[in-house]
Amino acid sequence: MTRADWTLLILTLVLLPTLYVGLWGDRGAGESVEIWIPGQKPQVLSLDRNQTVEVQGSLGTSVIEIRDHKARFIASPCTGKVCIHAGWQQHAGELAACLPNKVAIEILGRDRRYDSINF
Amino acid sequence: MKTITATSEDYLVAWLAALAVTIHVAEAALPSPLPGVKPGLANVITIAVLVRFGWRTAAWVALLRVLAGSLLIGTFLSPTFFLSASGAAASMLVLWPASRLPGRGFGPVGYSLLAAMAHMAGQFAVAYGAFIPHPAMLHLLPVLMTASVVFGVVNGIIVRTLLNSLRAPAAEHAPSPPAP
Repeated sequence: MTRADWTLLILTLVLLPTLYVGLWGDRGAGESVEIWIPGQKPQVLSLDRNQTVEVQGSLGTSVIEIRDHKARFIASPCTGKVCIHAGWQQHAGELAACLPNKVAIEILGRDRRYDSINF
Repeated sequence: MKTITATSEDYLVAWLAALAVTIHVAEAALPSPLPGVKPGLANVITIAVLVRFGWRTAAWVALLRVLAGSLLIGTFLSPTFFLSASGAAASMLVLWPASRLPGRGFGPVGYSLLAAMAHMAGQFAVAYGAFIPHPAMLHLLPVLMTASVVFGVVNGIIVRTLLNSLRAPAAEHAPSPPAP
């Protein structure tokens, strides 16, 4: 076995586990949040950066907070505030919506947590 | 009418390819635990040819092995054939710069490992891109690559043993290799 052989073998054995971690790792984790706004294409924002976003809905401005790889509504011009009470959305497939304002947020990731949800 | 005269290189490639095809077809009779996971013993011939006779001869042997093997097994132009061909193409593509490294370069084990990984990666790319673009395929990739690493090393050791036993006693009867 030449030096090149050993280098290749060691490199391979070091990199192979990263393949497992990358592809077998947490697949339900949220990677980005998709924000639906009436009259526009949905905006997709990464969950990596903490930020606060204000979006214009039919009734007024909804404020969405992104922090620690989660997203939630913190302010909305609706009366019921169902969207805010939905709380933090974290895993892929989780969704919170303000129907009066026509604004919704959904977490996107590799594997959805649920195939479908019926209310 | 033009006549084609077979050169000694033709005979060399034909004999080696026949050897590779035989092993390939025999191995196709063995069951495999997972689709796409095979020991790939015919690659022992490919790598041994690469080390002894150079890349061009090895590429011919690989090409003929895939073609003749698929014709004999009955998978010619099937998806299996395209997967096999893409794997062989990927491994030969990677072996070309590898065989031209300055200095001592790779030994048979290194070539075999490199070729096996390239083969699996190329095959997976075609399988995932053209045949089954489902995210679950990505779940298979680590297992497939692990198998290619294991079999790549094992085949490389077989090549080394083979070449060593060829070098020792019958050196004066070895056929003269064509100029690379």
